[in-house]
Amino acid sequence: MGIEFLIVNILLVILIVIASLVAVLLRDLLAAAIALAAMSLLLSLEFFLLQAPDVAIAQAGVGACLTTAIVIIAIKGTKRMEEE
Amino acid sequence: MTKIVKTTANILFPFTMIFGLYVIAHGHLTPGGGFQGGAIVASGCALLLVAYGSPWVFDHIKDKRLATFESLGAIGFITIGLLGLIFGAVFFGNFLAGSGSLFGTTPATGSTLADFNTGGVLPLMNFAVGVKVIAGLFVIILVMAYASSIKEWS
Amino acid sequence: MEKRTVAGALAFSIVVVFFLFSIFLLHPFGKPGQVQMDDYIITHTQNETGTNNGVTSVVFDYRGFDTLGEATILFSAVAGVLLLFRRVRH
Repeated sequence: MGIEFLIVNILLVILIVIASLVAVLLRDLLAAAIALAAMSLLLSLEFFLLQAPDVAIAQAGVGACLTTAIVIIAIKGTKRMEEE
Repeated sequence: MTKIVKTTANILFPFTMIFGLYVIAHGHLTPGGGFQGGAIVASGCALLLVAYGSPWVFDHIKDKRLATFESLGAIGFITIGLLGLIFGAVFFGNFLAGSGSLFGTTPATGSTLADFNTGGVLPLMNFAVGVKVIAGLFVIILVMAYASSIKEWS
Repeated sequence: MEKRTVAGALAFSIVVVFFLFSIFLLHPFGKPGQVQMDDYIITHTQNETGTNNGVTSVVFDYRGFDTLGEATILFSAVAGVLLLFRRVRH
């Protein structure tokens, strides 16, 4: 476990937290869903770096694609902008 | 959707399918398995759904047929487990491993080359769970998309 | 300050304190605590299940009941969705 591994891991965790905060704080729900998909993809990369490729494939398939599809379908059925 | 999206989906859809089926079929040799490969194939079907719209897909694939495939996958999985109870000793027993017949070769201990004809009942279980996950996840997405696309319920 | 804000802040701080405790109680990274079962599975998985992939042998053979539960969860999810949207027909 070298220093490069540590730097990349810390950078990835910070990016995951930033993407989650963007997903929480955005008023536009469609953009929030895209931010959630980006968070899920970064989490999948983190799983892959921690040598769990099974979990990484499952996270990339279910979390980044299918959950985003379900959320976007729900947004299409209701309203796009969040109200106060 | 526009022509650009449809062309991109036409190009990407076969590769996604091939990759997902590869992950299912080589589940006992490489990382992945039934659930992961099924999620990848269902993602490819969701790409088709985004590009062509849910009424087009709903005309070509019936949801009842997908639900039947989902039940068939579950029945196959439990049947293999019960066959383990009959031929082996315990529920989910691996009765095909080391028997020399289908998927019955035992690999040498240590890091060896991958042989496809190994694993006992694990490839069959991967196939059953793969069919189940493909049909299950795709029917959820398909029915929800079609329900949100029509304006007024009966 | 409203009551809901105070209650939310209190619950959030309690959760943060529990997470901090659990972070300090973790064993160091890359050094698992109990290794007997890991050693058994890594040693015997190629002879007992005939598979080169240890993770799949654990998921489908050693811990088959977990996969059965997962299949049950997926089946109930599909049944619920089809039951909820069963009016949607041509």
